[in-house]
Amino acid sequence: MNLKPNPINMKKILVANRGEIAIRVMKTAKNMGIKTVAIFSEADRDAPHVRFADEAVCIGPPPSAESYLQGSRIIEEAIKLGVDGIHPGYGFLSENAEFAEEVEKNNISFIGPGSKAIRIMGSKLAAKEAVKTYNIPMVPGIDKAITDIGQAKEIAKEIGFPILIKASAGGGGKGMRIVEREKDLETQMKMAISEAIAAFGDGSVFIEKYVTSPRHIEIQVMADKHGNVIHFFERECSIQRRHQKVVEEAPSSVLTPELRRDMGMAAVNVARSCDYVGAGTVEFLLDEDLNFYFLEMNTRLQVEHPVTELITGVDLVQLQIEVARGEELSIEQSDLEINGHALELRVYAEDPLNDFLPSVGNLETYILPEGEGIRVDNGFEEGMDVPIYYDPMLSKLITYGRNREEAMDKMIWAINHYKISGVQTTLSFGKFVCEHPSFRSGNFDTHFVKNYFSGDALTATSEDEARLAALIALTQYLKDRKNLRIPNS
Amino acid sequence: MKSKNKLLNEKIEQAHLGGGQARIDKQHQKNKLTARNRIHYLLDDNSFEEIGILVTHRTTDFGMEKEKYYGDGVITGYGTIHGRLVYIYAQDFTVFGGSLSETHAEKICKVMDLAMKVGAPIIGLNDSGGARIQEGVRSLGGYADIFYRNVMASGVVPQISAIMGPCAGGAVYSPAMTDFTIMVEGTSYMFVTGPNVVKTVTNEEVTSEELGGASTHSKKSGVAHLTAANDVQCLADIKKLLSYLPQSNRDTPKPLDYELGDEVRPQLSSVIPKSTTTPYDMRDVIKGIIDDDSFFEIHKDYAENIVVGFARLGGRSIGIVANNPMFLAGVLGVDSSKKAARFTRFCDCFNIPLLVLVDVPGFLPGTDQEWNGIIIHGAKLLYALSEATVPRITVITRKAYGGAYDVMNSKHIGADVNFAWPTAEIAVMGAKGASEIIFRKEILAATDPAQKLKEKEDEYAEKFANPWRAAERGFIDEVILPRFTRRKLIKAFAMLEGKKAKIPKKKHGNIPL
Amino acid sequence: MNGTSEFEVSIEDLLHLDVISAGEHSYHIIQDYQSIIATVKSGDRETKAYKIRIGTNTYEVVLLDKVDELIREMGLTVGRGLQINSLEAPMPGLILEIQVTAGDKVKEGDALLILSAMKMENNILSPRDGVIRTVHIAKGDAIDKGQILIEFEA
Repeated sequence: MNLKPNPINMKKILVANRGEIAIRVMKTAKNMGIKTVAIFSEADRDAPHVRFADEAVCIGPPPSAESYLQGSRIIEEAIKLGVDGIHPGYGFLSENAEFAEEVEKNNISFIGPGSKAIRIMGSKLAAKEAVKTYNIPMVPGIDKAITDIGQAKEIAKEIGFPILIKASAGGGGKGMRIVEREKDLETQMKMAISEAIAAFGDGSVFIEKYVTSPRHIEIQVMADKHGNVIHFFERECSIQRRHQKVVEEAPSSVLTPELRRDMGMAAVNVARSCDYVGAGTVEFLLDEDLNFYFLEMNTRLQVEHPVTELITGVDLVQLQIEVARGEELSIEQSDLEINGHALELRVYAEDPLNDFLPSVGNLETYILPEGEGIRVDNGFEEGMDVPIYYDPMLSKLITYGRNREEAMDKMIWAINHYKISGVQTTLSFGKFVCEHPSFRSGNFDTHFVKNYFSGDALTATSEDEARLAALIALTQYLKDRKNLRIPNS
Repeated sequence: MKSKNKLLNEKIEQAHLGGGQARIDKQHQKNKLTARNRIHYLLDDNSFEEIGILVTHRTTDFGMEKEKYYGDGVITGYGTIHGRLVYIYAQDFTVFGGSLSETHAEKICKVMDLAMKVGAPIIGLNDSGGARIQEGVRSLGGYADIFYRNVMASGVVPQISAIMGPCAGGAVYSPAMTDFTIMVEGTSYMFVTGPNVVKTVTNEEVTSEELGGASTHSKKSGVAHLTAANDVQCLADIKKLLSYLPQSNRDTPKPLDYELGDEVRPQLSSVIPKSTTTPYDMRDVIKGIIDDDSFFEIHKDYAENIVVGFARLGGRSIGIVANNPMFLAGVLGVDSSKKAARFTRFCDCFNIPLLVLVDVPGFLPGTDQEWNGIIIHGAKLLYALSEATVPRITVITRKAYGGAYDVMNSKHIGADVNFAWPTAEIAVMGAKGASEIIFRKEILAATDPAQKLKEKEDEYAEKFANPWRAAERGFIDEVILPRFTRRKLIKAFAMLEGKKAKIPKKKHGNIPL
Repeated sequence: MNGTSEFEVSIEDLLHLDVISAGEHSYHIIQDYQSIIATVKSGDRETKAYKIRIGTNTYEVVLLDKVDELIREMGLTVGRGLQINSLEAPMPGLILEIQVTAGDKVKEGDALLILSAMKMENNILSPRDGVIRTVHIAKGDAIDKGQILIEFEA
């Protein structure tokens, strides 16, 4: 880890990302009086983040692999422009250890953890090894990757079915298989291994207990270069579809103060175990008995960080920059407390009625909702095309209220006032979630979407509305018809 | 008061039933819409004002007074299509088979008279068994009244006839004299004498469809300008056709809004094949010139060696006459001359400017042509173009040989602007033929006559098969690059918008018929 | 209705609807005690097509009267056999593969090309039986929505 003894200069930051997160990071930088540099691909020439920055440089053709993922090229430009720090955002190069190393080698601050921490937490195997000494609870299972079916059978018997076969090199929900019964184990195991080799080049898998009715709870942590590590409480991210989060909230409606304290401490320990620096997120699974198990650590700022900011009143990006500058954290754990409740809906250009397939098109209408307690981290403007090369997220719609009820109701209001036409979005899905009794009561888990949502559910509610629309059309037509018309010349 | 209003409503309701629900159902079963359905679909919503809904016939012969129907088998009136006034009559097949009586004809004449007074198009939806025999001479008189008005209206207001059922005997002359005839495939036919009489007189066995169906008249006789797959398509086509035409001869067609860009069409650079004997479809050239999707072709299946139709150029409605090298090398013949001549004269009647695209190697040779009077019919097109006073612009894309060069809107017969592409070959005849004649002595004296001919052919081609000679004389105003054709034409037609030209005063000329 | 659902509505039904005009293009409805605002985004009385917005949803409504119904029943449609002469790109993307060449005879539903968009591979199938006239694109091309990809012989 590079520990610079003196406070580091941070006069200019390059954001190695695009869209809403680039704008969000640059906003904080501007507030801090720091100059900003944007990078863009040829497809993003007229994107808002390019205009928002003080300087901008084109780094390649549209495909990510030829532009936003071109680490060396980005560093080259950064050197040319005399950049002091690079903020990687999320996705792209944010968890690329080589990139982090390269950046530091070139005397530029990487606004994130060191490459060692990224590598450790990037491998499930290494992560589990590292946290062992801190007695972090983990999902019952073997703590080493195996390839032998006989071994798998033994372990499975020990921990009890149902079990989960997870590819060691996989992530984000890829390379996972659930095995309910012993007799399916052998076939599933074989398939899992061959899939893992095909997809990741590594056929080693973990066997662990499959947690039923799990909730996905994550803890936001921040560590400085002086050994201080604090946590910013939890985020509930159980509303996912195909293992991708769509609705997140803070705090979780089921955590008790004790549980919160225990999980917080565990998260801090996980961060310590790899000498973490900067902002990070430790993910846990919570079962129905409120037992928590360590899943993995994400060594970057996450998409859903705003909800944490709203309930704790901090600016996480500002803290990231301060930490990168070598400053000591000015906040202590005891200073932090939860105020109110925040909710976030990821607004994707996807069609919830068509299996969430990307909805490509032009944003003919695009008007953001505004009001107290409403924050939109946005990356698009009216009239823009939704590009085909990148992730289809338009914005994050975040609401804040004094309590959970208020946050949810405000979200519904905001969704109704978010005017988008030209593409389908997950807005109607967000509304469905916020109105659903299971979500409202707090009684849900990661199976929420599977259990309750189907295209039909959305269409059913709109069937009545559709009929009403037909009646209104008829009303308007009859009204139009009444007017006398004469031939024009 | 109440009961009198009630009585009115009852009468109207009865009129709406025509010949009764049973007959209406029968019409639908035959995949035909009723006359009222057709008017409802064709005209703008709620725009139809019916005239003479309560008219009934006056015949008392053959006990006819016992059977009367309001409207007497035809629905007449006026309404709008896309906001423009039109007059319409639609024969009701459910009443006496749509047959024509004295009063039926009177109703039609009434709307035709109105159309003439006001100046708006007349649309006739024909669906009739012919004369109502019980009416005797009165129905013949009725037909004649209509024919006379067709002629009076000809060239004054556009007249469109749709044949949406039978149309036989004398009845066919009305559509024949209107400007456009559109037939519905499968459910309509037209002939002067039907198959039954044909059998008895000439012993020919032929079906109604073969004798006078839509396919026959669009391909063989050219009586039908358009055909439609069904009633709905037919009515949609009428609407589309009207959009290119003005309300009357006192008007010009209404242009569509169009925002001009650079209007360059690079695809035209590659349309002409390298070899002069390789054909290409002139429709590709047309596509490369006009506004997208604006070509409305007339007589598509008849005399395919020439293409005629309406189109838009920068929103402006124009008529196009173009040789098509794809068929018969694009020569002019009897049928193609007639087709193009009538279309030209229609455009001239109604102030629609003409664009003539030329790639013609000459006239079709052969006894069939000569004995059928290619001399006279070929002259028709020459006459029609010469006489036309609307703006006329020519673009020669490739060949323009001999007399056909003169005929196809050459400068000498009054064309306003003449363009040619660099690939144009304006000559008395093809290089081969010309060389054979001019260098006859040399070729005969040569050791290898075939080789010598080829040599002379190339020499001739280089010297004469090009637009330069004509350009040097000013017969061609400008030689242009194909990709700029659209630009040039939009500007030229705009320039000619105010054109006012006259022909010498006469009652009317004597076009060879 | 958005091309998907169909309703039979009559003027009778309107009498049961508690609706008042709330502006030039809006209506206020009380249905099952719920207060709903509907706005007419666009409408054409000629084509009887209206766009109605309720809440976050916009509905495209096309009204069919008795004659339209009759025409539909009789199977009369506009469009010369609906012959599609050119295939346009349904969305922008990258051409991954082209499975036909000019001159090929294809049937409706045959695979013509594979279009990659938003990290998805889309199989583009032939909309009709016919013969391929021209293939306007090549493997690897980036294409726009609406761009002509393939033309059929008329």
